[in-house]
Order: sequence, then C-alpha cells, then structure tokens
Amino acid sequence: MVSLQNMLTPAQRQSFTISITAFLASLLLLALVSILVLIVVRGGAYFWPSPIYEAEFYNPATASSKTVYAQMRVRTEESGSRVWQVSYSDASHPFGTKTLVEDHHLNDRALATEAAQIDLQDGTTVFARPNHLVTAGGTRPPLSDYEENKQQVMALTERIEEIRETYLSGIHEQLAELDIRDVEQDAPARLRLNAEFAKWQGQTRELEQQRNAYQLDVTFADGSHLQVPLADIERVNRVNQQSWWQKIQMVTSGIWTFLSESPKQANTSGGVFPALFGTVLMVFLMTIIVTPFGVLAAVYLSEYAPDNAFTAAIRVSVSNMAGVPSIVYGVFGLGFFVYTLGGNLDDLFFADRLPAPTMGTPGLFWAALTMAILTLPVVIVATEEGLRRVPDGLKAGSYALGATKAETVLYTILPIASPGIMTGVILAIARAAGEVAPLMLVGAVKFAPNLPLDGEFPYLHLDRQFMHLGVLIYDGAFHSQTDAKGASMMFAACLLLLVVVFVLNILAVLLRTRLRKRYLL
Amino acid sequence: MLKLFEHETLDVSNLSDAETALEVQDLNLWFGNKHVLQDISMRIPKHRITAFIGQSGCGKSTLVSAFNRLNDLYPGCRYQGSIYLDGRDINHKKENVSRLRTQVGMVFQRPNPFPMSIYDNVSYGLRLQGVRGRRQLDDAVESALKDAALWDEVKDRLFESAQILSGGQQQRLVIARALALKPDVLLLDEPTSALDPLTTLFIEELMAGLKKRCTIVIVTHNMQQAARVSDYTAFLHQGRLIEYTDSDTLFTMPEKKQTEDYITGRYG
Ligand SMILES: Nc1ncnc2c1ncn2[C@@H]1O[C@H](COP(=O)(O)OP(=O)(O)O)[C@@H](O)[C@H]1O
Ligand SMILES: [Mg+2]
Repeated sequence: MVSLQNMLTPAQRQSFTISITAFLASLLLLALVSILVLIVVRGGAYFWPSPIYEAEFYNPATASSKTVYAQMRVRTEESGSRVWQVSYSDASHPFGTKTLVEDHHLNDRALATEAAQIDLQDGTTVFARPNHLVTAGGTRPPLSDYEENKQQVMALTERIEEIRETYLSGIHEQLAELDIRDVEQDAPARLRLNAEFAKWQGQTRELEQQRNAYQLDVTFADGSHLQVPLADIERVNRVNQQSWWQKIQMVTSGIWTFLSESPKQANTSGGVFPALFGTVLMVFLMTIIVTPFGVLAAVYLSEYAPDNAFTAAIRVSVSNMAGVPSIVYGVFGLGFFVYTLGGNLDDLFFADRLPAPTMGTPGLFWAALTMAILTLPVVIVATEEGLRRVPDGLKAGSYALGATKAETVLYTILPIASPGIMTGVILAIARAAGEVAPLMLVGAVKFAPNLPLDGEFPYLHLDRQFMHLGVLIYDGAFHSQTDAKGASMMFAACLLLLVVVFVLNILAVLLRTRLRKRYLL
Repeated sequence: MLKLFEHETLDVSNLSDAETALEVQDLNLWFGNKHVLQDISMRIPKHRITAFIGQSGCGKSTLVSAFNRLNDLYPGCRYQGSIYLDGRDINHKKENVSRLRTQVGMVFQRPNPFPMSIYDNVSYGLRLQGVRGRRQLDDAVESALKDAALWDEVKDRLFESAQILSGGQQQRLVIARALALKPDVLLLDEPTSALDPLTTLFIEELMAGLKKRCTIVIVTHNMQQAARVSDYTAFLHQGRLIEYTDSDTLFTMPEKKQTEDYITGRYG
C-alpha cells in the first residue's frame, strides 16, 4: 500500500499537518464566533425598540381584514414563503397579542409615527396612539403633562402602601391571633379591631378610586378608544419618534429592568433577576462545598493513600465519574439527598410539620450539593495534577526542617498546588453554571415566589426552591413560535448566562494568575 | 585566615564520647531487597568537617539521610543498627523525628528554596516550632542570614520572592534556613555540584567558618573539594565504609587499595 508518508517529502508533510490543524482550529473558532454573534444579536434585539407599523392584514379564520398597530418581524420559512410575526393590540385584544401572518395576507404596512408602545406593570404591552390624559375632575390635560400626573399617581400609591403596611397588616395580624385563641366573634376587642380595619380599608379604597381616575386615553388603529389607568403604566415609548439618544436610554433602562426585576407573563417579559441571583448563589454554594471536599480527597489520594491497585482503581473511577451524564446525578440527588437524606432529616427535626416536607423536598441546598458531587471529579483530578507538580526537593526541604507530613501539606504542598486547585474550581464553575437537567430535579423551578436570600431569619433559606437562568432558557425555548418577544427574552437570558459564566471564570482565572505569580517555580 | 581554625588531628577510630557528635553502630539499610548500607560503624567528630566520598550510587546520600531519618520518607526503606546523638539512639521507634530534624539540618544538591519570600524561607522552621513573636523571628532571620554570609546581599529585599536569587544565593539561603534552627549537625549533600566554581569557593569558605557553630558532614563528588575543606574523610564503596581517617592521611597515604584506586581516578 502506498501510504501518504511515502508520497510526500518531510517538509510537505509538515506543512500538510500544519494546514489541517489550522483549518480545524479556524473551523472551531468560526463555530464559536457564530454562536456568539447569534446570541448577541438576538439577545440584543430584545432590548432594542422596534418600530411600530400600522398594518392591515387578512385573517383567513374569520374571513375578514383588520387594521392594527403592531411590531413586526419577517421570517422566511423552509418552503421559501415569507411569514410575519406580528405583535399587536386592538379593541378585542387591548393588552397585546401575537399572531403569524402570511406575506400575501398582509395588505398594507406603513410606519405609524403617532403610535406608542405602552408597557404596563404586569408585563403586557398596549400598541396604540395616545391622545390625552384624563383626571379626576374630568379635565383632559395634554400628553405633555404626563410626568406631572404620573408623579401624583405615584404619591397616592405610596400613601396606600403606607396605610396597608402600618395599619392594615397590623390589625390583620391581631385578628389572626384572636382567631388562634378562639376569641368569640362578638368580643369587644374583635369588634373594635374590625371597625378599625373597616375604617382604614375605606380610606385606601377612596385613595385607590382617586388614583384610578388618572387615566391615559388611547386610540387603536381601527378608531376605538381605551382608557388605561396611569397607575398601571410602566412607561410610554413613542418608538417612531425617538432619537438615537432616547433609544439608547430606553435600551439602558430595559437592560436594568431585565437585570433587576422579576419575570412577568410566564417568563416572557419583565426581568430575570431571581434567576440570575439563583444561578450565582447556587454556583457560589457549590464552590464552597466542592472545593474543600475535592482538595481533601485529592490530597489523600496523592499524598496519603498507599500506592497500590486499590488506589489506582479509585483514581480511575474518579476520572470516570466526570463522564457520567448529568441527569444521572440529578436522579441521584433526588433519590438520595432529597428523599432519603431530606426525608430522614424531616423525621428527626421537623416531625411536627409532617406530612408537609421541610428538607425532604427539592431546594437550593440539595441542588448545590448535587452540583458539588457532579463537579467533584473535576476538582479532584485538577488538584491531583497540581499536587503532582510540587517538586520532591521542596517536600524534602520541608521535612528536613522538622515539618510533619500535615505541616508540609499545609504550608508547602497546598500553596504550590493552589493554581492547580484553582484550575479545578474554574472548570467546576463553568460546568455547574451551565447545567440545567439535574437542577430541574433537585430544586430549580420556572417560577419561585421568594428569593432564597431575604431579610427574614435565617436570611439564607437553603430549603427554598430557586430560579435558574438555564431553566428559564429551557422554559423559554418551549414557548410558541409566534412569541417573537419571548424568544428573544430567551436569547437575552442566554447572553446573560454567558456573561455570568465569563465573569465567574475571569475572576477565577485572575485569582489563579496571582497565585501562579506568587508560587512561580 | 584558615589557620585560625586549625587544630590538633584526632584519631577518628578512637574518639572519646565527648568528642563525638554522631556515633553509628552496625548500620544496615535496605531499599526493598537492595542492601544499600552494610555494617557501617563510625564516629563523627564534633565541630569538625567530615567528608563522605565515593562513586555515585555507593550510598553516600542514603547514609547522611540516615542521620536525620529522611529515609523514612521512602516506603520501601528498612534499617537496623543504631545512631547515637546526644547519647540517645535516633533509630529508636520513640524518637521524635521532627525534633531530630531541627537538631540535624540538611542541605541538598539542588537549591530548594520554597516559593515564598526570603524572610518566610528562613523563618519556616522556627514558625513550625511555634515561634510567633515578630522581634524574635526578625532577630533569628538576621543572624541566620549573617551566618550564611547572605545578609548584606538581601537585607533590603527580605520580603521579595526567594526565586529571584541566583543559584549560589539560593544555596546560601537554604543553609541559612537550616542554621536558623541552631542545629547541632549540618548535613550537606553535594551542596556545590550545581554551582559554578567561584560560588563553590565562596560556600567552601563559609563552611570553614561554620564549624565552630556545628558539626558539618559534607557529601561530595569532588575529591579536591574534600581535600580542601574537610578535616576527616570517609570513603564508601558499594554500601561499605572502606576507609575513614583524617583527610591528609587519606589523600596522601591511603591504606586500602580501593581507596587508592578511587582517589587516583582508576575508577568512578
Ligand atoms: N528512594 C530509593 N528507593 C530505592 N532505591 C534507592 C532510593 N534512594 C537510593 N536508592 C538506591 O540506593 C543506592 C544508593 O543511593 P544514594 O545514597 O543516593 O547514592 P549516592 O548518593 O552515593 O550517589 C543506589 O543504588 C540507589 O539506586
Ligand atoms: Mg547522592
């Protein structure tokens, strides 16, 4: 057989090898760059205001046409036909809806300069033309008074909240206490509290009525009117009239909302703060758990364990554990940590609350523990690698100064191996931040009402379920395809997850560089 | 200069207990099945420099490592016989090995400063002993560095990494690190074989000055060095002590044929 080697001169062989490796490397780079570009473009589009059109389209289901204000994106199907993704509002769907329109059903499309995208507090959006404001006295101030009126509404809201917090909730608690003590319904204390409650409730109702009188009058494209209470409005964006500067401001505030608020409308609008927080907190806890365990295990294996077949077998199985599919760890976490360990803890310490489980249910701690088990092999392998690099001469130097084995490990071996340990931690963080499947079994949820960290004792609630960016993305990917906005929120969440992993990694790499400089050999 | 330290020549085959720093009795040592040291008995005189010479692989390093029980680090190592220091047998199983190693310091062939500051290197042993006082450590570091003739070169950069020092400076740092513990015996295992000739000379001079502080045992490949620096020389061959006497006699009129062959360069 004539082999390639015989056909080429050594120099040719070398350049052949170089071109193949260079080709593969650039292919890899290309794949990486295109993923990044896709995510940055689609994620960024979520924040960039898209123009509002006045569009007329034919709906074959009702065999009629309608004219709406809408944001539209065109998409080319595999068959080659063009389809519009249309988000619009009209009299029958005042708070926004989405639909797909075939290109040939779209009769007319023109920029609607007067129309605005009105974001409401509940995460829905109204596309309509603002006309004027309405106030309690029935006056109709012009749109330019919007800010001023909004301030008054906000002042009223504050007052209502204040009454709720200072009076109503206190009275409510006292009443609940009376209930627990089985106080009679017509006891004087109860009657007095009831009267008090009614008084303050009446006052808030009055304030609410006053507040709801402030409204914004808008018109849809078909000419019908709608009055939206100012209290419900988050902001009014007349996208088509905005300057670049205003758009950038809108993007900035959009990004801030995205980072700092909770999701709304089933994770299709609002922000992702709880998920961001949950992800970072989980990774943080995981790191705290896995680092000492991984380092101790590696130190034992490489410094203390006898050099025999059994140790070799352990070492091989540790490396193999890194290859176990993550969902298997999820099932393990659920079966062992949540049900067995958690269930037994409940029997021991929280028996009074049974059958409602306290620890025997998925939660943050079990999730962090499961991820710690999942990343343990990575940390062990990297740490062992770091320990192997410590020169024997230094160990001997330490022993020769009277150090015991433990002292040598602590003062000489571990510091020198610390960059290796950091490499393990970096790999563990990267892996843990990106995992989704096992987390969904042991504590991450689509929506959690409370953050795992708050002002209530014991502040860090390890038993609570938490939100996670990966789960949010997974969830977003299953929203209907017509949901263009929701899909790009998913991309924005992807972008954020990448940034989180990047930042965590960069921090760890910086730390490692410092350690390397310090313990340079 | 060297004349200052000249002294009467002792008969090492007949040392009194008061003149003895280390006494080795019938030492046998195996690595696995390999009999590395065979029936070694000798007395090493106090405050003198004793050199061990012999072909590489003859057991010199193993023998000096027996003096601070560093061979214990190797799992396959077994030994029999006694080594007396201060009247106690350091091979006894109740010997406190950590304390022994503070009494018997050791310097290796390759300079092995820890990747820490110069100060931390020198104070490593003392801190292990539980010395925490800043003043106490400062003083000990200064005097150890002075004893190792390194103080003037590093006094302005005590807190910089020891890695930036030259090879000769690193070796003196390692000597200072051992001296900081005020050892009775200092073992030097080919301390200059990784250094250039000028630095070697410098370290040799240093040794001559150090022998009033402690007993020095030096392993060397280099016969000129042994003749230059040592008061007594022991020749080892294949794990046996062939000849041990004062250096002048050994290098001028060796008694044994093997010794003569070795020092005249007929093998090794
Ligand atoms: N840790 C060890 N394990 C097994 N054999 C060893 C070990 N250290 C030394 N030896 C063997 O013991 C003999 C003496 O070694 P060594 O004392 O280092 O010789 P020298 O220092 O005279 O060159 C050599 O044959 C060497 O192979
Ligand atoms: Mg040697």
